[in-house]
Formats: sequence, C-alpha cells, structure tokens
Amino acid sequence: MRETYSVLLPKMNLGELTGRLIVIEGTDGVGRSTQIKLLRPWLEQQGHAVLDTGIKRSQLAAKGIQQAKEGHTLGRITLSLFYATDFADRLENEIVPALRAGFVVLTDRYIYSLMARAIVRGLDPAWIHNVHSFALKPDATFYLRIGVDDLIPRVVFSSGFDYWESGMDLYPSEDMYESFRKYQTALLTQFDAMAQEYDFTVIDASPDIRTVFERLRAGISRVLKGEPREPLFAVPAPAVADAGRAEVAGAGKAKHPGADK
Amino acid sequence: MKRYGEHRFPGKLFVVEGVDGSGKSTQLMLLHHWLQAEGYGVVFSEWNSSPLVRETTRRGKKKQMLTPATFSLLHATDFADRMEHNILPLLKAGAVVLCDRYIYTAFARDVVRGMDRKWVRELYSFAVKPTAAFYFRVPLEVAMKRILEGRSGVKFYEAGMDLGLHEDPEESFHIFQGKILEEYESMIAEFDLTTVDATLPIEEQQTHMRQIVKAKLTQAKRLRVAP
Repeated sequence: MRETYSVLLPKMNLGELTGRLIVIEGTDGVGRSTQIKLLRPWLEQQGHAVLDTGIKRSQLAAKGIQQAKEGHTLGRITLSLFYATDFADRLENEIVPALRAGFVVLTDRYIYSLMARAIVRGLDPAWIHNVHSFALKPDATFYLRIGVDDLIPRVVFSSGFDYWESGMDLYPSEDMYESFRKYQTALLTQFDAMAQEYDFTVIDASPDIRTVFERLRAGISRVLKGEPREPLFAVPAPAVADAGRAEVAGAGKAKHPGADK
Repeated sequence: MKRYGEHRFPGKLFVVEGVDGSGKSTQLMLLHHWLQAEGYGVVFSEWNSSPLVRETTRRGKKKQMLTPATFSLLHATDFADRMEHNILPLLKAGAVVLCDRYIYTAFARDVVRGMDRKWVRELYSFAVKPTAAFYFRVPLEVAMKRILEGRSGVKFYEAGMDLGLHEDPEESFHIFQGKILEEYESMIAEFDLTTVDATLPIEEQQTHMRQIVKAKLTQAKRLRVAP
C-alpha cells in the first residue's frame, strides 16, 4: 500500500494506486528535462503509459505563479505556498488518477526541490516539511547530481542565467554569476542532505547525455520490475573545476571544445 | 522565520472572527473610525484580498476546481502575501493593524473540509499572534437569518457545496456554518479568543471592544500619528 509522508488529504484513497511514481530530481540546468524527453519514448516503446509532469504545470496555479514571479513583490513564504498549491493540484488531479490507471508517472522535480529552495531562502525546515507532508512517497527518486563547476558552463551555453535560478531575490547585491554560484551551491548542499534522508538513487550527471540516460534506464528498469536497486551510490566529493563538460546543456545545442572527453 | 507568539513589534494587531452574519465586519469598521478619530495610524487588511493570488482564486472558485487541499493552500498563500508585505512591515513601523478574519477562519473552514487539524495550524505558524482576537459569538439561527434576509443566495464554496453536505445550497450552508461554529467554539480556549456576545445591541458590543482595545493601547501612546 502506498503511503504519504504524514497526513492524508481528504478523499484521497491510497488503495489500488498500481502505477509507478518516479521522480527525477536535481538542480537547475542539470539535464532533467532532456533525460525525461528520452525516457518517455523509451518507456512507451515498452508498452507503458506515461504521464510526465513537473513543477508549475498545474491547471490551477501555473499562470498565477508565473505572473507573481514577473513582479517584484513575491515574498519567500508566499512563493513556497504558491508552489505547494501547484503541487497539490497536480497530485490530486494528475498524479493520483494516473497512478490509479496504472501509468508510469515521471515527474520533473518533486517536493524535494520545493523544500530545498525554501530552506535556502531561510524558511524553517520543519515548517516546509509539514507543508508538503501530504505528498505520496515515490517508488524511486533519481537525483542527477553535479558540482557547481560542471553546472555553470551548461547553464551559460544553454539558457543563460535566470533571475530566480540565480537566487537574485536572495543576493541582490551580487552579479548574476556570483549569485548563481552561491545559490546553486546552497541548493546542492540541501539536495545532498536529502539524498540520505529520502533515500535518493544518486546518478552522476557530469558525463554525456547518453551515459546518464543509460544509468537512468537501468535504474528505472529495476523499479518497474520490482527488483532491488543497486547499492546506493555514494555522494561523490565535489567535482573538480572542469569547464569541458558542457554537453548536456540545451540537449547538446552548444557543443563545447573538449565536451566529448 | 519567527513563529506565532515569538514576534515583538511596536505595532498592535486586532482581529475579528466569527461566522458569516455575526456582525464582526460592522464592529471592526466602527472600531476603525474610532481609532482614527483618536489619532492612531490604522491600517485594515481583509481575508482573501491579496492582489497576487486574486486571479488564481477567482478562477479556481468560478470553475469549481478547488479541493479542500488547494482551497486551504491558496488561502494560505493569500494570507502569506498580506503577512509578508502588509501586516509585518506595518507592525514593525508601529501601526495599529485591523484584520477582518485571520488564521482562525482557516482553521475552522479547512478542518471542516477535512484537512488535518495539526497540519493547518502548523501551516499558519508564520502568522503573528494578535494583540487581541475578538470572536463574535452568535447562535447559528441568528446568523443564518441575518445572512439570508440580506441577499439572494449563497455562493458554491461559501455554502460548503464542495463537501456534498446537501444538494440544496441553503441547507448545505446551514450545515456547513454549524460545523464552523463548533470549530470556533473549540478555539476560544485554545487561542485565548476574546468572546463578544454578538446578540447584544451594536453599541454595547462596540463599547466592550473599545474598552479592551484602549487598555492594550495605553502602553503604546507613540502609535498616535495626530494630536
């Protein structure tokens, strides 16, 4: 029987949720959406029905969050609760019905990203855990892990620095590069701590797209067959500065000298 | 992130609570005018009024997309926006802040909708504890009569129609408000609410309120903005 982290929402029946809930987590620009684009057709070829969902895609709150982020009055608690609303709407209206229908649900981020962002913004960890304690425990969480030095070239050569992904609301006096470094480093620290607490399967996201995809595929195959997974990868030591690993950025849009090593 | 009861500000926060038709908004308006006439810097904040969240709430209600969970979280988002951008800075600046409905409204409604009692209380733990919270206590039948005489009908969520209590909106409203009243009654002791007998004449209720507010403000003379 499926479980939530603590509280149960009204009318949420946890019986017969026969599908599989698979979470892809990791920081901004690490290649989550690229991998999900590859995973979906692969799963469908094997005959699985797939729902792919992610943060800020709810019918209810996506538009409101977008508008709120374009202004300059969005507070930290308000932002966290707006995202929690978005999550609850998708959980009740997309994720749970899909699991009941036997789908494989691939979710691009889950409550872990929401909690990491809130904690980095100085909110009380106990508070933000409670807010999300109605979430279903997933069947597996794959954490695409990368060091900040590997991350930066990917971001620079794909989308560039984004205001919120750079934590500019937190460090407004810094330039975007400095702010991005600080903010993403703080996020990585939170993710690494959660990898233990929530039993993530850690995948090193610094190699090329294909290699990461193969590792993800192997991990997901095990989940779908109900096999025990490989022993947990240890969280590797912070990666050495290496500007040559920009391949995944924007699904290979920006090839980089030395990207193929 | 400070929690309920831990905040210390020069300003004062007074809130009114009670079921629809209890007369709380009228009393708050009278208090507001009086405080202004006394020379205090007064600011008013109403439940469910954040411009940031308004459009989402409006759409959710209109299309009846809201579940107890999203209803609860969306109202908490609205409250958080007002808390972070309105109530907190004003209290820091030394204003007298008046709120028509506060976190106790969410505790009553969300719990009646089936949300976990402890979860909702923790959800709002970032709220500032009011200087005084007035609960306008009124028998259900009196409140129902006041509400239904003055208007043509009740709205879907207002009547608790999302809970499937009764197919007739008026009956549903009756059952829903009754349950909310029970929640309020249980919160009097839990949150040390100041009870006002809302069946008394308006003037008497107002006198009672002003006495309590005055006592809380005597230690805070500097809140006056005019002689």
